[in-house]
Formats: sequence, C-alpha cells, structure tokens
Amino acid sequence: MKVVVLAKYVPEPTATWAFEADHTLARESVEGRLSELDEYAVEQAVRLKEAGAADEVVVLTVGPAKAVDALRKALAMGADRAVHVSDEAIAGSDALGTSRVLAAAADKEGFDLVLTGMASTDAEMSVMPSMVAARLGLPQATFAGALSVEGGTATISRDLDTATTEVTVTLPAVISLTDQTDEARYPAFKAIMMAKKKPVETRSLADLGIAAGDVGLEAAGTSVLSIAPAPQRQAGTIITDEGDAATQLADFLAARGFLR
Amino acid sequence: MNTLRLVVGLLMTVVMLGLAGRRLLYLYRVGGAGQPVEPGRLGAVGTAIRAELVEVVAQRKLLRWTAPGLAHAAVFWGFCVLLLTVLEAFGSLFDPTFSLPVIGQFPVLGFVEDLFALLCILAVVAFVVIRVREAPRDQGRRSRFFGSHLGPAWFVLFMIFNVVWTLLLTRGAQINAQEVNTTDNLPFLRGAFLSQAIASLLAPLGQDVNEVIETVALLVGLGVLLGFTVFVTYSKHLHILLSLPNVALARRPSALGALLPVSSGGREVDFEDPGEEDLLGVGNVEEFTWKGLLDFGTCTECGRCQSQCPAWNTGKPLSPKLLIMGLRDHALAKAPYLLAAEQERDGLSDDARAVASVPLVGDTGYAGDPLAAYAPLGPGGVIDPDVLWSCTTCGACVEQCPVDIEHVDHIVDMRRYQVLMEGAFPDEAGAMLNNLEHAADPWGRGASQRLAWAEPLDFEVRVLGADGGDRIPDDVEWLFWVGCAGALDDQAQRTTRAVATLLHEAGVEFMVLGEAESCTGDPARRMGNEFLFQMLARQNVQTLDDAGATKIVVTCAHCFNTIANEYPQVGGSYEVVHHSMLLGRLLAEKRLVPVSRVDRDVTYHDPCYLGRHNRIFAPPRELLGAVPGLRLAEMPRAKERAFCCGAGGARMFMDETLGTRINENRAAEAIATGAQTIAAACPFCITMLSDGVSTLRPDDAPVEVTDIAEVLLRAVRPDLDDVSPPPQAARP
Ligand SMILES: Cc1cc2nc3c(=O)[nH]c(=O)nc-3n(C[C@H](O)[C@H](O)[C@H](O)COP(=O)(O)OP(=O)(O)OC[C@H]3O[C@@H](n4cnc5c(N)ncnc54)[C@H](O)[C@@H]3O)c2cc1C
Ligand code: SF4
Ligand code: SF4
Repeated sequence: MKVVVLAKYVPEPTATWAFEADHTLARESVEGRLSELDEYAVEQAVRLKEAGAADEVVVLTVGPAKAVDALRKALAMGADRAVHVSDEAIAGSDALGTSRVLAAAADKEGFDLVLTGMASTDAEMSVMPSMVAARLGLPQATFAGALSVEGGTATISRDLDTATTEVTVTLPAVISLTDQTDEARYPAFKAIMMAKKKPVETRSLADLGIAAGDVGLEAAGTSVLSIAPAPQRQAGTIITDEGDAATQLADFLAARGFLR
Repeated sequence: MNTLRLVVGLLMTVVMLGLAGRRLLYLYRVGGAGQPVEPGRLGAVGTAIRAELVEVVAQRKLLRWTAPGLAHAAVFWGFCVLLLTVLEAFGSLFDPTFSLPVIGQFPVLGFVEDLFALLCILAVVAFVVIRVREAPRDQGRRSRFFGSHLGPAWFVLFMIFNVVWTLLLTRGAQINAQEVNTTDNLPFLRGAFLSQAIASLLAPLGQDVNEVIETVALLVGLGVLLGFTVFVTYSKHLHILLSLPNVALARRPSALGALLPVSSGGREVDFEDPGEEDLLGVGNVEEFTWKGLLDFGTCTECGRCQSQCPAWNTGKPLSPKLLIMGLRDHALAKAPYLLAAEQERDGLSDDARAVASVPLVGDTGYAGDPLAAYAPLGPGGVIDPDVLWSCTTCGACVEQCPVDIEHVDHIVDMRRYQVLMEGAFPDEAGAMLNNLEHAADPWGRGASQRLAWAEPLDFEVRVLGADGGDRIPDDVEWLFWVGCAGALDDQAQRTTRAVATLLHEAGVEFMVLGEAESCTGDPARRMGNEFLFQMLARQNVQTLDDAGATKIVVTCAHCFNTIANEYPQVGGSYEVVHHSMLLGRLLAEKRLVPVSRVDRDVTYHDPCYLGRHNRIFAPPRELLGAVPGLRLAEMPRAKERAFCCGAGGARMFMDETLGTRINENRAAEAIATGAQTIAAACPFCITMLSDGVSTLRPDDAPVEVTDIAEVLLRAVRPDLDDVSPPPQAARP
C-alpha cells in the first residue's frame, strides 16, 4: 500500500507575521515549519509502514522553495520520499486553487490512501481534505482520532461532543487526522542526517498539466480586503462569592446580551 | 632456616605478583578498548600533582565525612607507612638484621610504624562498626552500602587486620630473636612500642622459638599481603591502585559546571558536518573513553554518591553507584569479545557473544526492584531507561565521589546516544524539544511574549534595537539576560521585575535583548540533544557578539552555568554574574540601601547549578544577611550537600512518576526549619519548591517561596506592591 501525506509548510505560529501589499504573507519575514498538526498525519503514515500495512510513504507539499524544510522534517520522521510542487504562478492561491494543485499532484503520484492533517495552523480552514477528495472523486473520512487499515478498507473513529462514531471507507480514500492520534515523534539527529539523502522531487504546474492562469492570486474566487491583528485578549472578570455571586454572574451575562 | 624462608618468600612473591601483574595487564587491555580521551584531558601535570596531594594524600573529600573519613585516612596513611615495614620484611628475608638505609636505625621510625599499625587496627574496628550500623540488611535502601558487594568488603577488612597483626607479630618475634634489647642490633625497634609489647609477651618462649615464630609470621604476613594484592586486582579494592591515575586524569577543578562537547575518536564532533563514522554519545560500553572505563574500575562501592542522590533518596531506581558498578560489570563481561580479534569473535562462547549484544540502555523489566534495573549481562539492557532518565544532573554524586568519578558526564553521554541516534527519551520531553526548536523557549510561547514581564514597571526598560541601534550603547554597563522562565513564567517574572527595579534603583544602566533572546540550550543539552544545544548556543553567541555584549547578569542558575561555562566552547566569552553577585556589589557600594526591616524567618535553598556546579554559596547568603530583621536558618542539607529541587537535567519537563517527589522532599526540609520564607536564586527551583510547599501544606500557615532579589527589594523599596509577594505560596 502506498500512502501520500499532504503536509503544509506554514509560518511559525508563535512568530509575528508580516503581510505584503496584496495581503499575502510576507514569506521572507518569518520562519516556516511543517505544520504541527500535519506531523500527526506523517506519524500515522510512518506507523502504518512500521506495522507493515504500508510499503511506501510519500509526503507532498504545495509551497514556496523553503517548503522543502517541511518535507525534510517529514522525511526525518520516517517518510520515504517527498514531492514538492512549487511554481511562482501558485502564489496567492485560495483553497480552491490549492486543492486543485494538491489533487493533481496526488493523482500523478498514485496512492492507495491520502492522509492529511485536521487543519493547517495558519489559514485553519480544514477544507482541504474534502476539496481534494471531491476533486479526486474519492470517499473521505475526516477528523479521525484513530485510524486502522485492514484489507482494502480504512476505519477511523471520530470524536464528537457526545459520542464517538466509527467510519469505514474503502480505499483509495482521503482521511484527515486530528491531534488525538498519538504523539508525533521527535526525530533523532541520525534520522535528520539520513533524511538529507532521501529523494525530493520538484514539480511545476506544467508537470501537473495545470495552466498557470487557473490558480494563483488572480484566479482566486475570493479576495482578502484587509488584515488586522486579532485584538488582545482582555483579563477576565473574577467574581468572588460574597453571597451575591449568582446575581453578579447574571448581571455580567445580561450586560453582554446573553440573558434577557 | 634462613635459606628456606628466603626461597619460600621469594617463590610466593614471584607467583603472587605474577598473578596480580597478569590481571593488571588484562585490565589495561580492557581499558584500551575504550575511545581516546577528548581534547584537553591530558597534559596538565601541575594540576594533576596538586590533585594527588589534595585528594589522595590529604584525603580531602573523604575527610568531609568525619568518622569514616578519619578511619580511611588512618588506613591510607597507615598503609603508606607500613610500606616501610613491608620493605623491612622483604629485607629480612635476605638478612635477618636488615634495616632501611639512612632512616632505618632511627627509633622514631619504629615508633611511627607501630603507631600507624595501631591506627590501622583501630580504623578496621571503626569500619566494622560503620558497616554493622549501616548494614543494608537493616537499613535497606537508606544504607549507602545497599547494592555494594558486602562479602568482599568484609574480606578486605579482615585482610587489612591480618596484614597488620602478622607484621606486628613478626616484629615482636624479631626483637626476641635478635635479642635487640641487649645486643642493640635493631635500635629502631626501640621506639616500636607495640612490637616491644608483643616481644615481652613472647620473650618467655626463648630465642629459638621466637626465631621460628619470626620466620613463620614473616612468611604468613608476606603471604597475606601478597594474597591481598592479588585479591585487590580482582575486586572493587582496585581503587588502591587505580585511584592514583583516576584522580590525576580527572577534570579539574571538577567534573561539574560545563558539560563536555560531544567527542568521537578524541576529536570534537562538528554538528554542522559530522563525519560518517562519528560516534554521537555512548551506545556501547567501549564507546566510553578509556578514562570512562578507568572510572568504572576505580569505584570503591562506598556509596557516598548514592547517599546523596536525589533520585535514589526518593525511591527511584537510579543510584550513581549502581550505575557505575553496572557499567563496570558489563565492561568486564564484554571484555573477551572486545579483546578478541574480529575474525575470532564468532568462535567465542554463546554467553560472551550474547553479552556483547546487550544494549547499554534497555528495558530490564525491573518492576520496582532497584537492583534489577541494572543487568550487566542483559538480556534487555545494562541499565533501564528509568535509571538513565531519573538523573537531575544535580552533581551531588560527583561532589562526593572520593575518587573523582564523573557520573554526570557518563549519564549525559548515554542520553546523547539515546536522543541523537535512537530518538528514544520520555515522550513528554518531546514537546519541550519541539518548543525550543520552533519557539526558542521550552513552553512554546514565542519571542513576541518576551517583554511582557516589563509592562507593569513604572520605568522604561531599555531593549536592544528599540532605538534603532543594533549594538549595546556605551552608556549601558550590563546586559540583563532575562532567560525563558524570567520572561515567560509568572512567578519568575516577579523576580525579573525585582532585579530590574533594584538595578534601576541603584542607577545601573542595563539593557535586555527582548525578542532576540532565545533559550540558552541547557535543557536540550542535559537531555542529550547536543545538536539542538549547538544550534541555540551558536545563535545566542552570534546575537551577543553582534550586540557587543561583554558584561552579562542573569537570574537563572541554568542560564548562568550555560553562558558562563559552556558558551566559551562555542566561541562566546563574557563576564557573567548571577544577580546575587551584582546586587551584593551594589549593596557593598551603598548604591542599594535597605531601609526597611523584613521581620521574617528565611531559609535559603542552594540551586545545584549555582552552588555545587559553580561554587556560588556565599553571595546569596550575604545578600540575605544584609536585609535588616531577617533571620536566616540553614537546612540540614545545605551548600555542597544541598538537596536538588528536582528540576535539573531537563527533569523540569518530564513527568515524575517513580517513587516520591523530589520537590516535596526538599520543601519538607525547608518547612521544617520553621521558615516563613523559602528563598532561592533560580526560577526552576522556585517553581519546584512552590509546588512542593503547596502540596505539603495546602492550607496551613503560609510559607512563601521566592527569589532572594524579591526579599531584598522589600527592604529597599517597601512601598512597591507589584513585586511584594502574595501571602500564600503562589500556585494553588
Ligand atoms: C495571508 C493569507 C491569505 C489567504 N487568502 C485566501 C483567500 O483569499 N481565499 C481563500 O480561499 N484562501 C485564502 N487563504 C488560505 C489559503 O489559500 C490556504 O492556506 C490554502 O488554500 C490551504 O488551506 P488551509 O491552509 O486552510 O488548509 P486546511 O484545509 O486547513 O488544511 C487541511 C490539510 O490539508 C493539507 N494541506 C493544506 N494546504 C496544503 C499545502 N499547501 N500543501 C500540502 N498540504 C496541504 C494539510 O494536510 C492540512 O493539514 C489565505 C491564507 C493566508 C495565510
Ligand atoms: S547527578 Fe544527582 S541525580 Fe544524577 S546521579 Fe548524580 S546525584 Fe543522582
Ligand atoms: S562512584 Fe565514587 S562515591 Fe560512588 S560508590 Fe563509587 S567510589 Fe563511592
């Protein structure tokens, strides 16, 4: 079985981000990394390989030249090969454009199973797994807290607020994994050194048969009008119970329109 | 008869010394299987000689434990002096009236020899008392001898006793045989009061009988001594021989403070471009340096280290003594394999090959039995991972070891292999390493949070680069290295504010790096992740050098140790002081003046990385002493013997699931002094002790845990609310 992991190169979440005039991220201004949430997908793929269920794990990313750092990290964690789709024309793509590139690249690579994270840590839309599955015409199982693969099917458990559901899909399929799957490994230095020797193929839009005008900022169906930093969180109110805590609490809620 | 005793004596000597020599040669070859020592280990002859004088001749570390120290010193000096009697005994094999040249005829020689013989016997008695009182059978884990080889230890005492009494008997009989009192043949024996007493007892038997007794006692004595020598080469008593080179080759001033960089084949490993064959840490016993193997062979199993180890004292399987013994036993078991040529190895016995493939660190399945966590013959591992990861690198073992064994270095070397080569370490620590890598602090908060601590202050803290310049301006004297805890941890922020306020109060111009600061790399390095340490350290050195930093003040004991002692290894040398030292100077210069009384009972906890690792014991105490009204009470375990808080060695970022909790053990000791304030001088200690205090006495009389700087600030600026502590220990 061949597993393709979609892994995104994202700006360091704890760093301060800067933006270009066209509202895209100023990539040079901030360190990037393999999205922390995608590490769980890489981890599960590598475990499938270690358990003998998969024979090859390929990581796939769509991103700028530096995104190769994210691929190296995934290779150090145990993936076998990496595919890097990089093209000036992709810059500024929206979710529709990105999913188009990802689906084409995964299709070209060939797979039995596509694993993704539950959301990227930058744009956090959580739509990519569904979009990619739709474009490929494959079943999807999303937000898996646990995954098992047997024969030609994959079973996930999906934690909802009040219940856990089990979902089984026939392969090939697209599955997104949450951070409830087990801890992702911290690669040993030896593995990091060995990852430097693993193959990373670079693909352009032309390689995937996508016209430059179909993706990118210009082709995006949505546009960003302005960007503002989220307001600082204010310190909460602490009510000390001196007999009237319930009244104070009710007043607090009422003042904010939660009670009438 | 004289010929007979000469022949028998010489024959014994040749056979026994031959046996001992063969064994020593073998051990020498085993040692040779180790790696070359790292750069800078050899060659400091002056320091080595000084160390021999202080550590061996003057028995410095041993004498810190008064009773056993004196007893050991008596035996050590006793045997040095008795070497003279042994020479005399050998001499009298050839010539019954032999005496040492020059000094041989001085009565004072006889007196000194007998005096030390007596002291030796008294010491043996003392050792017997100590061993009976501290018997592991009664004391269990509390005994420092728990897990030591007890039989051989008793045998050694018995042999020492035998050596001494046979020598005395020989000399007594010799006096009678020579009729020394009348013929003056051996005038030196006149001062030999014990020998004289024995002679008086034996005198009635007559000269002939005494001659026989002399010969028999002499031969028995030599036999005992030679047998003892052979025994020594096969036992833990090898320290008699090995402690000399081991002390000479030990790290000086001690194997504390800085860790050594990763070396392979005697060269430092370049992490930016490591060689294909480079060994990263120690994964097999022969990957220790030969000095490491010498350490293992030198251990006397005295258990001083074990008695002080915070891990051992809280019921964890780690004992530095058992660790060293386990590695030694494994090295010896693996020796046939190591010494065999490559092509001969297949021909070795199954057992020999099986031992050779036992991993150094692996699951022993010890199930709570600490002795089972060490399995020199395998099969799972020589030491259990629980042993390796329990160490806080507090250095108490290194501090105590009378033969200068370097436990912490060996532990970290094994951790290095686990982390760098195997990626094997306690899961929880992975988050910390990831955070260091991505956010440059252990909690993953990120650079943007690094100045939040300064917001409540009513004066401006100067930040590098804030006014456009990228170098520290000339009017700034000190760079204040805030540290990750100091910048990001609530309680440590209070310390940071207190120190900043005091510096401001004293008119000291200082600056902070703000977002440009990252973790020094201490927890990564002590976990064994040298790669990450090197990255962080080089980056920080670059930042400091670019800023033109020369004088740095820190509030964290770990930052202090790393910047002061380890950054020179990556090319960064600065004058680094701990805030206790700088504030002390400002007090002395009257730039800080305590105006208000702080009427409190205070005890001071020595952070390992300030105290033992850097010998900064006095400045924090002097600072507290300068606060009017304050009453300082010492804990029983203080200064060199201070008990760890449990945070060091990256333990801060691992779960403590084995045994009882180290921080609670220490907090209980601090509370028992009756102190209302537990003062420390390291943010990690403060977190640990606060947690300990709040678990131990959730609602009892308040005991606060705080930094010495906060205590001082209360005396200097009693008007400030922000930095005065809450009445309760900080954490609920
Ligand atoms: C500054 C900024 C402006 C943006 N403007 C727009 C806009 O105008 N319109 C719009 O629709 N979107 C916009 N985006 C979102 C951007 O297009 C998305 O980042 C991208 O489409 C992927 O979606 P996501 O990051 O939300 O992925 P999610 O759907 O949250 O990701 C789920 C999973 O999909 C996989 N994945 C996602 N992206 C990649 C990738 N590049 N390579 C490999 N695997 C991947 C990963 O496994 C990931 O865990 C903007 C983002 C930023 C930061
Ligand atoms: S450094 Fe401290 S914790 Fe580690 S073995 Fe030595 S005494 Fe024990
Ligand atoms: S390591 Fe040192 S202190 Fe510990 S038992 Fe051996 S000789 Fe004694």
